[in-house]
Amino acid sequence: MTQVSLRDLTKVYQGEFEPSLDRLSLEIDSGELAALLGPSGCGKTTTMKMIAGLLEPTSGDVQFDGRSILHEKPEKRGVVMVFQNYLLFPYMSVAENIGFGLKMRKVGKLETSRRVGEMLDLVKLPDLGNRRPSELSGGQQQRVALARALIVEPDVLLLDEPLSNLDAHLRFEMRDLIRGLQQELGITTIFVTHDQEEAVVLADKVALILDGRLKQYAGAEEFYNRPVDEATARFFGGQNFVAGSSDGSRFESALGSLDLPEGAASGKGKLTFRPENVRIGDSASATNRMTASLAEKLFMGTQTRLKLRIGGELIDAIANPNEVAEFSKGDEIEISLPPSSLWVLAN
Amino acid sequence: MSDRVKIFLLLLPALSFIVLLFFGGLAIGLLRSFNYMPLIGLLEPNLEAYASIFTSSEFLRSFLLTFHIAFTSTVISSVLAIGAALLLRRQFLGRAVVNFLFQLNLTVPHLVGAIGILYLFSQSGTFARLAAEFGMIARPRDFPALVFDPYAIGIILQYVWKEIPFIGVIVLANMQSLGEDYESVARSLGATRWQAFRYVLLPLIFPGVLSASVIVFAFTFGAYEIPAILGANYPAALPVLAYRKYTDVDLAARPEAMAMAIVIALLSAIMIYVYVRYTRRRIRS
Repeated sequence: MTQVSLRDLTKVYQGEFEPSLDRLSLEIDSGELAALLGPSGCGKTTTMKMIAGLLEPTSGDVQFDGRSILHEKPEKRGVVMVFQNYLLFPYMSVAENIGFGLKMRKVGKLETSRRVGEMLDLVKLPDLGNRRPSELSGGQQQRVALARALIVEPDVLLLDEPLSNLDAHLRFEMRDLIRGLQQELGITTIFVTHDQEEAVVLADKVALILDGRLKQYAGAEEFYNRPVDEATARFFGGQNFVAGSSDGSRFESALGSLDLPEGAASGKGKLTFRPENVRIGDSASATNRMTASLAEKLFMGTQTRLKLRIGGELIDAIANPNEVAEFSKGDEIEISLPPSSLWVLAN
Repeated sequence: MSDRVKIFLLLLPALSFIVLLFFGGLAIGLLRSFNYMPLIGLLEPNLEAYASIFTSSEFLRSFLLTFHIAFTSTVISSVLAIGAALLLRRQFLGRAVVNFLFQLNLTVPHLVGAIGILYLFSQSGTFARLAAEFGMIARPRDFPALVFDPYAIGIILQYVWKEIPFIGVIVLANMQSLGEDYESVARSLGATRWQAFRYVLLPLIFPGVLSASVIVFAFTFGAYEIPAILGANYPAALPVLAYRKYTDVDLAARPEAMAMAIVIALLSAIMIYVYVRYTRRRIRS
């Protein structure tokens, strides 16, 4: 069980002026599964390589349980990194690939083959030990890469885009496998991804990195309900940003005067709320009621996306297809915005 | 005209050169090695020339010497070329200049290099004079025999000098296309720097190293000019011996010369066959 802390971790590549990673500080608790989320080129993989010792930071520190490990060689850190494209050694069998770490540690043949067998069972590929990596599907290669990492019993496991090369149905299977193993073995695990959905479904906590800087480090729900700024909200699919001003309990804007939840920020700023939290229909008891005109309607199968015009503002809403089946473009619709779904981003 | 015919016609000029000059020459050589020379009335093919060279101690000594030259040059240049490629793939200041210098002698002909070796390393050469000047040896001719010597050190020096960049460029390209991620994986799984090289990088670049070194071996085994300039009189390298037999006033020595040339060609063919088989098996797996 290892607690990982990054202290002002910075990387400026040779010949570049802009840092690829700018003073990233993060605490990842022992046994936690954390995601580094950001668009490609934002410094995620750079961070992983610095934790694994494959890249030297320009400044800052990496600590395990409060102790700096920067001077430790990669093979002594107790960190294993699984790369995005798996990188199984093509000239070795699956079993030899999995046993590689033990061979490097000079573990005996008998012991190695026993533990390789256990690992093959663990990742549910019991009969594939003699195959070559090229004979495996992408999902199977991913599991072999995972088994090859887990066999050395690392303190910290790093996964680079663990689900992004997989088909939709394999993603759920792999997600369950990774989460299950991580919970069972209690390994502190950090993975990077550019896909917010991947981060949300897999991680306990998510660190959003934009332009080399940490935006927000929190549980997944916080990014939807309490984003720190507009860029963060937009990264998670937020589309509604209404300018106005708040006095801490009410927000004045083109939408009218709206009730805010307790603890809302005050001052000039933007009001944001998720499209899926816009309530459709006339409910007399609801607060923050208003009338909107339907500007656009797009049926998407399991949901219907709406664009609604209210007092010159265009807002996005997502509704149950049945609820809005009777409405068509130009119709007036009664909607409400429950105070608990509103969030003020102060300027 | 079908595509197949078109391709055949386009390839014809190049193919006829290869077939006529290469296989034609080889066929004539083969016939002569079997003592078949209608011009001087030899019409009964036999294996006398082969029997004669395989029982001659001169041929066997030459064969061993040539094998020693080819094998030693190939191994030394391969090892040094891998080392050079490992250094050159890193980013460092002045890398472009070093890279240019490294590849510079690819363009220098073998012959010019051999003259250089002669001037520098012979017992009347620059290093011998310098060593005498600084009192390391009494007279220049006390300098150790590195040229015209029985161990063919001068020849091997010349080949190593010339072949390091050749193998190095191939290996470097190979390493650069592989990238460093495989070694990173190995390091992260607990391999030391050396283990990552030994168990991961080396097996990955091995096919490239092998293909380059097979070419070097076949070339150094069959090349004439360097052993002719830098080699001892006796034993002489096989191509030199073959040429001497060929230019012998005794026409009867010619079949022996051809038999030696055929032995050289056969050995090269075997090397290529082994190489192709080996790489095919690797690629399939």
